[in-house]
Amino acid sequence: MTMTHPGLPDPWLWLALAVMSFSLLWVLFFTPKKLSTHSFLNVEKIPLIGWLARLFVASPWPLLLLKLISVALFLTVIAAGLFGTPMAERNLATTLTWTVWWSGLIVTVFFLGSAWCAVCPWDTIASWLVKRRLWRRADASSSLGLKFPKAWRNVWPALAMFVGLTWLELGVGVTTNPYATAVLSLVMIVLATIYMAVFESKVFCKHVCPVGRTVGFYAQLSMVELRPRLQKTCDSCKTMECYHGTKEIEPCPTNLVMGTLTQSTYCTSCSACTMSCPHDNVGWRVRSPAAEAIQHARPHWDEAWFMLGLLGLTTFHGITMMEFWEQGLSWFGQLIGDSGQLIWSFSVGMALVFIAPILLYSLLIKLTQILLPVKVGFKQLFAKLAFISLPLAFVYHIAHNLNHLVRESRGFSDVLINPLGKDTLPLSSAELHMRHMNPLMSEQFLYGLQAGLMAFGFWLALQILQKRSLEIFSDAAAWRAVYQVPGIIFITIITAINLWLLVQPMIMRM
Amino acid sequence: MIAMRSIWLCVLFCFFTVTVQAHHVLGRPSYSLGEDSNTPPSMQVETQIGDFYVTYMAFPAFPKPNEQGRVNLYASRIDNGSPFDGKVTFKVRDDSWFSKTTEILGVQDIDEVVYRQGFIFKNDGDYIITAEFESGGEPYIIDFPLRIGEPSAVGPIGITVAILIFVLLMVNILQRKRLFGLKAKRAREENNS
Repeated sequence: MTMTHPGLPDPWLWLALAVMSFSLLWVLFFTPKKLSTHSFLNVEKIPLIGWLARLFVASPWPLLLLKLISVALFLTVIAAGLFGTPMAERNLATTLTWTVWWSGLIVTVFFLGSAWCAVCPWDTIASWLVKRRLWRRADASSSLGLKFPKAWRNVWPALAMFVGLTWLELGVGVTTNPYATAVLSLVMIVLATIYMAVFESKVFCKHVCPVGRTVGFYAQLSMVELRPRLQKTCDSCKTMECYHGTKEIEPCPTNLVMGTLTQSTYCTSCSACTMSCPHDNVGWRVRSPAAEAIQHARPHWDEAWFMLGLLGLTTFHGITMMEFWEQGLSWFGQLIGDSGQLIWSFSVGMALVFIAPILLYSLLIKLTQILLPVKVGFKQLFAKLAFISLPLAFVYHIAHNLNHLVRESRGFSDVLINPLGKDTLPLSSAELHMRHMNPLMSEQFLYGLQAGLMAFGFWLALQILQKRSLEIFSDAAAWRAVYQVPGIIFITIITAINLWLLVQPMIMRM
Repeated sequence: MIAMRSIWLCVLFCFFTVTVQAHHVLGRPSYSLGEDSNTPPSMQVETQIGDFYVTYMAFPAFPKPNEQGRVNLYASRIDNGSPFDGKVTFKVRDDSWFSKTTEILGVQDIDEVVYRQGFIFKNDGDYIITAEFESGGEPYIIDFPLRIGEPSAVGPIGITVAILIFVLLMVNILQRKRLFGLKAKRAREENNS
């Protein structure tokens, strides 16, 4: 029996399309201005939540408590996966990992940035094993401290891991297999520990971890950032405790210098800088979610590929939950003589969906290059404008995940009470129907959120395109709206596909 | 269409024994309440091979040693949905790397649209049930996993712990050697000066 979630209804679709059309006209007919510095608000000055932010910035203990909770839950996931029932919907390993955490994680990035990395259980366990300290700075002999090979000091390993994770998730079906989920969790512990024991800093977090890098890139669109309170203080700082650490506090695990930090991609929110700064000059602040991707983030070739890969794989997630995907897979499987789980057919389909937006983007970048009156290298333009893919991936990812989170996490309390699912039966049709009919929030509110997100992502991508293309010109007067047209075509095609996917009924995962 | 001497379908999920309730993906086992009654649950695998859609069901879903169990097999043509009506041979083998012994469980004729095969296993373990039939001159050989008793959890944990201990120990030894070497070098330099 296959049950599907209803797609976005027409009125919401038309509303989203109307807002998008307005954004498009705005971008085409209004000349942008050169950017100045963006405004922000110190989180610690916000009533009610200010004291909480202060608590986490000033002391290691609240974060340590959260790490302990995170590790306890992670170990429970492993135990449930290995010793519990193989029925995915009755086992904590699959429900917590894939329905609650993996779906909810992307939503939290918008509000909390890369806060997940600060409590990441596999990194915490690896740190405890290698450094043998709960939070204080470990002595240098705890790790071999080798330099990470120069050729790997980029996000290619993380992109490869992300492709692999998606293949395991959707192709092999780890999301519906508690045992495999537990094994995957153990693999993450092993990898994090090996990298930490062999290499300096936290190269696994910075270059390899697919979750960390996904969170890191999306954090560019977060409404919060960890930054210096006063830039002047950092400019005059000679000791740079944020980078070097202190006797008690670890240095920045991803080698960031707070005074020159312009993008949150590699920040793990670990609070080492907030605690080590002798001037108490580092804190959380609220900002415009557009600021970093529009203005501050610096373009890199590998990062551009990661962002585009994220876009392709996010859309791919949606495609695999459509009925036409399974029919197409079956047809293709028959054509090539594939059988069983149709892994070959799946892999070919995945490769096509992954590469299609990158090819389209490359083609349109070439067209932009031809249109521009100034000479800009292809790679440079490719990297510079790739930021437009970030909001497109982010909003569709959240909109898609909201379906899982809101419609499939009913009954999670039962799994929390019985994490191993001992003596339980599979979901009956009646139970499944009840879950299906009782989402966590009103359906109309969910549709509103999804439509709003899609319109917001479209607008944001257009803003990024406009401001980043303007940056190419030293004289703003030389800029013309027509230079954006290839970029607008890309944004429109991707948004149209993602919106169409949201309108279709989506097959329930469990 | 498929010009292969034999078609092997190995749905071997030593690590990936997947359960799906609502989202039936080809080749992945799913669990649902029994075909015969509301309990006990059954395990089901839907897959395609050559010209056929094949559905395999095991009752109960989580069989135990010395407990009567049954396999149901449905095979229908992909193009017109008509059921296969020849004979199906069911075999079983131990799902381990070095096991080569295969035992015939039985040869079954179609009963309505289903092939039924009973089984009793004496020991816990991972087994492969093989269904064999011939259609259009092509042999069809389909393997399905069957777990008897509780799966072993010690394997993944044991391997993880062993790797972690090995890595941490090696790093510790290398670090000690390196520090000792540095100390010796420093001492030599001091003596020379």
